Amino acid sequence: MQTVIKTEGLSKTYTNTAVPVHALRDVNLEFKQGEFTAIVGPSGSGKTTFLNVIGGLDKPTEGKVVIDDIDIATMKESKLFDFRMRHIGFVFQAYNLIPVLTAVENVSFIMLLQKRPKKEMEQRAKEMLEQVGLSDKLNTRPAQLSGGQQQRVAVARALASRPDFVLADEPTANLDTESAFNLLDIMARLNKEENITLIFSTHDQRVIDRAKRVITLVDGAVDKDEHFDRN
Amino acid sequence: MLITLAWRNLWRKKRRTMITVSSVMFAVILAIVMMSMVNGMKQQMVDSIISNTTGHVQIQDVLYHDEPTMDHAMEYSQEVKEAVEALGDAVKYTVPRIEGFCLASKEVSSRGVYLMGVIPEKENKMNDLSTRLVDGEMFAPDDHFAVIAQGVANQLDLALGDTIVLLGQGFQGMTAAGKYPVGGILEFPLPDMNNTLVYLPLKEAQMFFAAPERLNSLTLMLEDPQKADDIASRLKAELDDEWYTAKTWEELMPDKVAAFEARDAQVRVFAWVLYIVAGFGIFGTMITMMHERLRELGILLSIGLKRGKLAMVCMLETLFISLIGVLAGVAVGFPIVYHFFLNPIQLGADVGEVMIDYGMEPFMQFSIAPDIFIYQGINIFIIALIVGLYPVKKVFRLDMIHAARN
Repeated sequence: MQTVIKTEGLSKTYTNTAVPVHALRDVNLEFKQGEFTAIVGPSGSGKTTFLNVIGGLDKPTEGKVVIDDIDIATMKESKLFDFRMRHIGFVFQAYNLIPVLTAVENVSFIMLLQKRPKKEMEQRAKEMLEQVGLSDKLNTRPAQLSGGQQQRVAVARALASRPDFVLADEPTANLDTESAFNLLDIMARLNKEENITLIFSTHDQRVIDRAKRVITLVDGAVDKDEHFDRN
Repeated sequence: MLITLAWRNLWRKKRRTMITVSSVMFAVILAIVMMSMVNGMKQQMVDSIISNTTGHVQIQDVLYHDEPTMDHAMEYSQEVKEAVEALGDAVKYTVPRIEGFCLASKEVSSRGVYLMGVIPEKENKMNDLSTRLVDGEMFAPDDHFAVIAQGVANQLDLALGDTIVLLGQGFQGMTAAGKYPVGGILEFPLPDMNNTLVYLPLKEAQMFFAAPERLNSLTLMLEDPQKADDIASRLKAELDDEWYTAKTWEELMPDKVAAFEARDAQVRVFAWVLYIVAGFGIFGTMITMMHERLRELGILLSIGLKRGKLAMVCMLETLFISLIGVLAGVAVGFPIVYHFFLNPIQLGADVGEVMIDYGMEPFMQFSIAPDIFIYQGINIFIIALIVGLYPVKKVFRLDMIHAARN
C-alpha cells in the first residue's frame, strides 16, 4: 500500500510556557493509504499536537512531515493553506460547522474554496449528506441539528473534497453512545468504500475498538504501535 | 459564498446589527439635513450675488477691479463685442452697466447713492428688476427719468414726479451733474440696496458720467455656470490684456468665496464628528462579532480558507453595515430635504433680518444636489474601511490552533 504520511524524527517543544513542554519526541511513523488509525494516550501525551503537526496547522520544532513527497514542515503558511485545503480533511471535537450556512453549504464549502464546478460541488455535497444519512437535512442550519447530526455533517464536509486523509480530533467526545456508534459506522464504511485514510486522536474505547491500527503516545513519544485485523 | 457568508453573519444578532445600522443612519440623516441646509443657503447667496451684482463672468477694464473708479471704465469696443459673439450659445445674454457713487439731493437734503446705468430689459432677465417696482414705471432705454429705491425716496422725501439732483465725478475728472424726474420707486429686501440705489437708462448714465460708449462692466450670464472659469479664460485669451480682463464671480468676490469655504469646512468638521460617532458604533459591533467567533474563524483557517479571504469576509461585514446605514439614511433623509427644497422655511423677524444683513432673502432654502448624498456614501465608506482594518488585522494575527480550541 502507498504511504500517505511519513514522519521522521518529529519533535515539538513549546517554549512559551514557564517550563519548556516537550509535546512530541522523535516520532517516526508511516501511514498507508486506507488505514483506520487511532492515536491514543492520556491527556497531555501529545495526540492533538501530533494531529496539528501532520495536518500542517502547527510546525514541528524538529523533524519532517512528508506528504506526497513534500515536507510540509518547511512549507510557507500561504502554501500550507492550499495544501490543507486540497489534501487534508478535518473533523473537530466540537462539530465546528459554520452556523450561518446550511448543511449542504457547509459540505460544499471546501469544494467551493477549491473552485470546483458548481454542479459537481452540489452533487457531491448531496451525495455525502446522503451517505451520512442526512439527505433530509440539506437546507437545515447547524443550530437545528443534534450534536450527532452536526458531527455527521462535519464528516461529510471533511470527506466531500476527496482528501488524501482525514484527521479527526476526538470526534465522538461530545456524542452520546448511539450517535457515536452511528458516526463510527459511517466513518468505517467510508474508509472502506472510498479507501480514505482516517487518523483519530481519541480516548474513546468505542473508537479504539474499531481501529485497525492503534498508536499509543506517552509523554510525546510512541509507546506502542499495534495493528489489528478488523473488518 | 463569501459574500453570502458575510451577509448572513450580520444577521446572527439582528437587534445588534439594527442598532449599529441605526447609528449610521441617524448620522447620515443629520449630515444630509445639515449639508442640504447649508448648501441651500450658500446657493441662495451665490444666486443672489450672481443675479444682483456680478453675473457669472464680467469683462472689465484691466485696472477696474483693484481701483473701481470711473476713470477705469472700459470702452465697449468692437473687440469686446466680437469676443463675446465668438462664445456663441455659451452666453445666454449680456448685461452692460455703468455705475458709480454720487451725491443725490432734493432741496436742502442730500445723501450718497449708488447710481446704476442699465438696460431694463437685460436687468429683468438677470434679476427681475421691474418686479421690485412699487410705484410708477420702469424706464425704456431712451427715456430720461430716474427710478429710485424706496429707502432713497424716503430719506430725500422724494415722490413720483419730483426731481432728484445727482452730482458726482465723471470720466477722466469731468464733473458729473444732472437732474432727473423720478418716474418709479423700487423696493429691495436688502437694506444696503434699498437705501442707496438709483437707476438711470444706460445711455443717460453714460452721458451723466461723461463716458459715452463706456461701461464699468459687461456682465455675462452663461448657459452653464460651471463653465465660468473656461469662459473667462477664453475671453482673456481673446481680449487685449493691456486694456481688458475677464473675471468670474469668484474672482470678483474673493471675500465671499473665503467665507463660503470657511463655512463648508465647519460643516465638514461637524459631519465628520457624526461619522466618527457612527464609526465607533460599527467598531464596537465588529469587536464583539470578532470575539464571539474566534473559534469559528480558527476553524475556517484550519480547513483551508486563506487569511486574505477570511479578512475579506470580515471587511465585507463592516462595509455591509455601513452601506445599509447609508442607504437607510439617504432613504429617510432625502424626503425630508426634498420637502424643504419644495417648501423653503420662512424665517421669523429676527432671524430674517440677520439673513437680510447677510445679503439673502429671509427664507431657508434646502439643496438636493446629488453630491450631498454621494458625500455621505464616500465618507462612511472611508470610515468603514478604517474600522474594517481591525477585523482584518485580527484575522491576519489570529493563532488558528488557539482560536479553534477555544
